[in-house]
Amino acid sequence: MSSDLILVIVVATALAFDFTNGFHDTANVVATSISTGAAAPRVAIAYAAVLNFVGAFLSIQVAATIANDVIDPEAISSLNIVYAGLIGAISWNLITWYFGLPSSSSHALIGGMIGSAVAAAGTGAVITDGLVGKVLVPGVVAPVLAFLVAGIAIGLAYRVVRRLRPGPVTRGFQFGQIISGGMLSLAHGTNDAQKTMGVITLALIANGNLGPGADPPFWVIASAAAAIALGTYSGGWRIIRTTGTRIIKMDAAQGFSAQGAGAAVILSSTHFGFPLSTTHVINGGVMGAGAAKRLSAVRWGVAGNIALAWALTLPAAAAIGAATYGLTRIFGTGALGPVLVSLLAISLIAAVFSRRAQRGAPVPAT
Amino acid sequence: MRAAVALATLVEGRELWQTVLASLVSGVGVTVFYSLALYGVTRFADLSRGDRTLAAAAAATLAALAAAACLASVAFGIVVLTRK
Repeated sequence: MSSDLILVIVVATALAFDFTNGFHDTANVVATSISTGAAAPRVAIAYAAVLNFVGAFLSIQVAATIANDVIDPEAISSLNIVYAGLIGAISWNLITWYFGLPSSSSHALIGGMIGSAVAAAGTGAVITDGLVGKVLVPGVVAPVLAFLVAGIAIGLAYRVVRRLRPGPVTRGFQFGQIISGGMLSLAHGTNDAQKTMGVITLALIANGNLGPGADPPFWVIASAAAAIALGTYSGGWRIIRTTGTRIIKMDAAQGFSAQGAGAAVILSSTHFGFPLSTTHVINGGVMGAGAAKRLSAVRWGVAGNIALAWALTLPAAAAIGAATYGLTRIFGTGALGPVLVSLLAISLIAAVFSRRAQRGAPVPAT
Repeated sequence: MRAAVALATLVEGRELWQTVLASLVSGVGVTVFYSLALYGVTRFADLSRGDRTLAAAAAATLAALAAAACLASVAFGIVVLTRK
């Protein structure tokens, strides 16, 4: 009975994480379309939300990686470990959202899970091969790859259209961004929603509801899809401003190639089950498209701050995850710890949001 | 050197290379095809106004072929993703 109550709390927390993931990350997805004038903010966000939902149903390879290849399911002796990892990820997501930094929700999730698992069962709980081979190395390669793909693509695109009148070219690429932005939203939905599916599946395996190596059930896929889509629709205006305009001023052709590069890298990686940071990839594409035109066009200082947030994400989320696990353990292995921590977390989030509301409206996209 | 070999063993090398290749081909390919389609459409509009029918037809053909290649690439990518 107690473990079932914790399972309900874990599933609800995982879906809350998925919501914050959409809230936090999808701003990055739509920023390019908004900053080039290809779409109005509300339209771009609604479009992204719908395609995030659809994208979540395309594949389950990444969910399988999260459920089986990063943390040893055998080491999850208590659902409190999964719960604490999720709290680590959500907390870091909200902290970086509050300060307007587009850090990685995926790395926050993986960091949080590693932190709580190591706190509970030692370093043996982490599957090193899976962590390095499927998360860390692809995580480093992917943004660099997006940078290169966007850079090469925009270089060739400029060569093709350089003798044309600028008006039709701009309008043509703005129209193209409806497709490339859609593909990027689809890619984001398929890679990011699967991480939540993977965590819920891991919890179901640990609780004995599913056998080892099982795929996520349909209700898990549908609920994760709905949560990320709702989070997406809820917005994330501060981060839109950072990614869309403060890293680089873009034209429509650059926006198209950045989005195309991001979608290509995320979809290809998803096919092989690599749980990427979509934030890293999209920012890599944006910087590649900017640097190919003029290196000084990229605001490297802002890019540096974002890189710092990226570097901090895994250890910070891991530390919060480990601390949360320690806190829940004070109350034993039952449901009391997660219930109390959830109440504390909800109170803190409410306080932060009310403070934000008192300070004024979120920063609009410009 | 030993560390590099150990890392190479851990990394899903073949799958990572396939990801790199697929990303390069699809990401660059779609942008180039779309740019060619845009080139064809814009040239078609300009040439049609100047009564250069043959050149306009060639531009329209280029636009149609490039747009078809662009859409086919996107559709192929989604089909491959959903089949695994």
